[in-house]
Amino acid sequence: MKIHRKKRLINVLLLSLLSGAGILMVLYALNSNLDYFFTPSELLAEEVPSNRRVKVGGMVQEGSVRREDSIISFTITDYSKTIDVSYTGIVPDLFKEGSGVVVLGYLNDGKVDAEKVLAKHDENYMPPALQDK
Amino acid sequence: MKLLLKTSILIIPFIIFSFFYLYLSKDNSYPGADYKNFSLPSFELKNLYDDSLISNSALKGTYLVNIWASWCITCRVEHGFLSQLDDNNIRIVGLNYKDDKDDAINWLAKYGNPYEVVLHDYKGSLALDMGVTGAPETFLVHDQMVVAHYRGEINKMIWNDVFMPLIKQEGFADAK
Amino acid sequence: MIADISHYLSILSTAIFMLTFSLVLVLDRSASHATLLIKRSYSHAFILFLISFLLYVYLALTDNFSVSYIAQHSNSLLPNFYKVTSIWSAHEGSMFLWIVFLSLWGFAFNLHNDSNLNVKNLSIGIISIIIVGFQLFLLVTSNPFEIVLPFAPENGADINPVLQDPALAIHPPTLYLGYVGFVIPFAYSLAFLINGNKSLDWEKKVKSWSVMAWVFLTIGISLGSWWAYYELGWGGYWFWDPVENVALMPWLAATAFIHSLSVASKSNVLRIWNLLLSIIVFSLSLFGAFIVRSGIIDSIHSFANDPQRGMYLLAFIAIILFVSLGLFISRFSMFDSSKNIKSLSKESFISLNNIFFGVLIFSTMMGITYPLIYELLYNQKISVGAPFYNAIYAPITILATIMLVASIDSKWGRPIDVKRGFSMLYISLAISLIGLITIGYFVGNMPFIIMLSIFMGLVIIFRYLMLIISNIVHKKYTNTPSALAHAGLGLLILSISVNSILSSEKVFNMKPNEIREFQNITIQFSELELLNKSNHDSIRATFSLSTEGKQFYLSPEKRKYFARGQITSETAIKIMPLKDIYLTIGEQLDNGQWVINVQLNYFIRFIWLSAAMMALSGLIIIKNIIRRRV
Repeated sequence: MKIHRKKRLINVLLLSLLSGAGILMVLYALNSNLDYFFTPSELLAEEVPSNRRVKVGGMVQEGSVRREDSIISFTITDYSKTIDVSYTGIVPDLFKEGSGVVVLGYLNDGKVDAEKVLAKHDENYMPPALQDK
Repeated sequence: MKLLLKTSILIIPFIIFSFFYLYLSKDNSYPGADYKNFSLPSFELKNLYDDSLISNSALKGTYLVNIWASWCITCRVEHGFLSQLDDNNIRIVGLNYKDDKDDAINWLAKYGNPYEVVLHDYKGSLALDMGVTGAPETFLVHDQMVVAHYRGEINKMIWNDVFMPLIKQEGFADAK
Repeated sequence: MIADISHYLSILSTAIFMLTFSLVLVLDRSASHATLLIKRSYSHAFILFLISFLLYVYLALTDNFSVSYIAQHSNSLLPNFYKVTSIWSAHEGSMFLWIVFLSLWGFAFNLHNDSNLNVKNLSIGIISIIIVGFQLFLLVTSNPFEIVLPFAPENGADINPVLQDPALAIHPPTLYLGYVGFVIPFAYSLAFLINGNKSLDWEKKVKSWSVMAWVFLTIGISLGSWWAYYELGWGGYWFWDPVENVALMPWLAATAFIHSLSVASKSNVLRIWNLLLSIIVFSLSLFGAFIVRSGIIDSIHSFANDPQRGMYLLAFIAIILFVSLGLFISRFSMFDSSKNIKSLSKESFISLNNIFFGVLIFSTMMGITYPLIYELLYNQKISVGAPFYNAIYAPITILATIMLVASIDSKWGRPIDVKRGFSMLYISLAISLIGLITIGYFVGNMPFIIMLSIFMGLVIIFRYLMLIISNIVHKKYTNTPSALAHAGLGLLILSISVNSILSSEKVFNMKPNEIREFQNITIQFSELELLNKSNHDSIRATFSLSTEGKQFYLSPEKRKYFARGQITSETAIKIMPLKDIYLTIGEQLDNGQWVINVQLNYFIRFIWLSAAMMALSGLIIIKNIIRRRV
């Protein structure tokens, strides 16, 4: 093998090795930073470590909203299972008992400590192209 | 080296594109549909026309609840289809949502009234209890239980794919 | 009637753009008469399309609600300004504007004279066929001219009140101008490849166009960030929302492209890489349009869901990308890649930073697509949030800044001379270290990565400051735009880091006349008013705040709009030299107290200032290029 060919081969190998390692690192970073989206039933059925961020979606159960100082706690239901949530901060304008909610936070002792509470949007629908029936 | 570069330049976008193709063509046809069952919230609302109070217990059997408003353009779009349903003896309860009373009455006078009864939910309180996020939305109610919910415009396709299977399956005979 | 005329003009314009493309195919492109014909044909097509759009604006201004799109997104009660901006508040109209801008860039390019007729005409042909593809997309799948039959609604719906905001009204057009501007370098580099004469200096020709588009993209992204900060009430400036990310990717690619353009013109290497980058930048811009308009991703920005639109866009973008990549590969042998880059030369640092830009783009792309892949494979919904992006962006940016600082002392085409003095570098490092210690004194403990970012941010700023000073002293030329943009980058890194550690917030429950304390700020709830405005009711709380011997009032609001019954919060912000005091009001509790959120957002203004510095540097570059030409 000629010298410059050998050099080129080493370059190719080095390049593939580096990009492979890079991709693996990105994937690793991805996998350790995913937010899983659960309904209360799914969350209770699965073993979720407490240091993992989760998103929980469902309805705010009627009569479940309580406030203590600046902490607001409520229950999310999917009409079969429920989970308790506590949150410090201002809940969105559309947050209300009986309406849809998504919270982002950590599971702690069977409860969710929320970092963010999002309510479903109240806006007009756009018809999917005004096609004829 | 060059060959490797050349092929990888083509293959990487190819993978990305075929992935998006797969994702787009996968069957997630009705994101607006929801089949969670819950009991119809109790309510007492005024009839749009005569201000008489109607409560949830007065509505029996199987029927659709359609959320609409005169300010809602999409409601106009689906109105023709609702009239067709009405012609086929499907019972529809109209829930007039956050709307001015006179506007709503004029609107129905202009475009026809397919509703068995129209409830005037000026504050949107019942709609909120039912999890409505906008207009139009349509619920299928059977014996005081909501069994299907569709967010957005309903048309023949959505009727056949989202509501009809339930009606057939569950044998909600009186819906027809 | 006018709606029909507007519609027909659009169709006619599509036909003439198609004609322009055919002319480029069949005529002798090097002939001057053919050039004139092509030029005129393009201009006519563009002017027809522009008139069509202006008529559409007129329709919106005159409340012509027989047009269904206008009826759905405008309202007779809206001020004229928002009647116009309602055009781009949803898919069809914004696509219309997007294509108008696309053809506008082509028009500007068309007007300017190029010495190489063949390449110029080929570029016009490529731009024309891209316009045709998008015009057909508009007319077939998302027609904004659709008429409501048989009766027109009287008042129209309304645009979302959250969107009735001056910053948001100009944010999409600026962003679109940025996205589609990269059609010029894209078309020109393809024309260069087809033409096949490698002595042509295409990099120099497209530089001002690329920088201009980059300036628009920079401004567009920062306007969006600024709007989100004061309107959404979360106090954040960047949310790693997929739609923000699809704007960030072409920005990163374009930044790499602009850097790499200057490398090619200075040392004639990396030309292959430039061609590839021009394709990548434009493809990423189109990818943004695809993501937002296919409904693939659920986001506050995305438009209505329609798989048919997604399929059309996907197919069209695939055609553009694969044709251009195919062309690129077939012309690979045009260049000898044997000319290697000398290590430790200026271009070696720029190339390394190009790789870092590539890593950021790739990771962002993964962050966007991974939830979709996951859903497809495991049928479970996941999302990728800030932690992932922080984990990637922070270390990569620090590595990139090290290359940047090293490149200042390097030379084109040869390695750094290790024997010469690095006194300026050492002085900047020393000053930055003092700066870091000073900040550390006020802040206390901070994570290592933040410490490193603050330090690197300071190093960049001081190193460029030293450079400017020494150039003035030695009466040497300073590359002002470069110094300005990179100092902007330093400021950006510094302010993001400081913001992330110093910012704090607290929630209070307060009744009128009650007083609370938060971080040396005394907050008194002084007044609560109910206001009735023309299109909304509002509750306005007024607070009297005092800090550092100053006293002022802040009045956050909660509004309820009539048209859709939508409730929005208006934040109240006090801008101080180093921080913002940011107040939002929540709901009323059963005991009569109101939930109040107080945030202290440090250095937040400097984030947008740094973006402004970058945009300004771009404008200076363009000014210099134009001046040199004249």
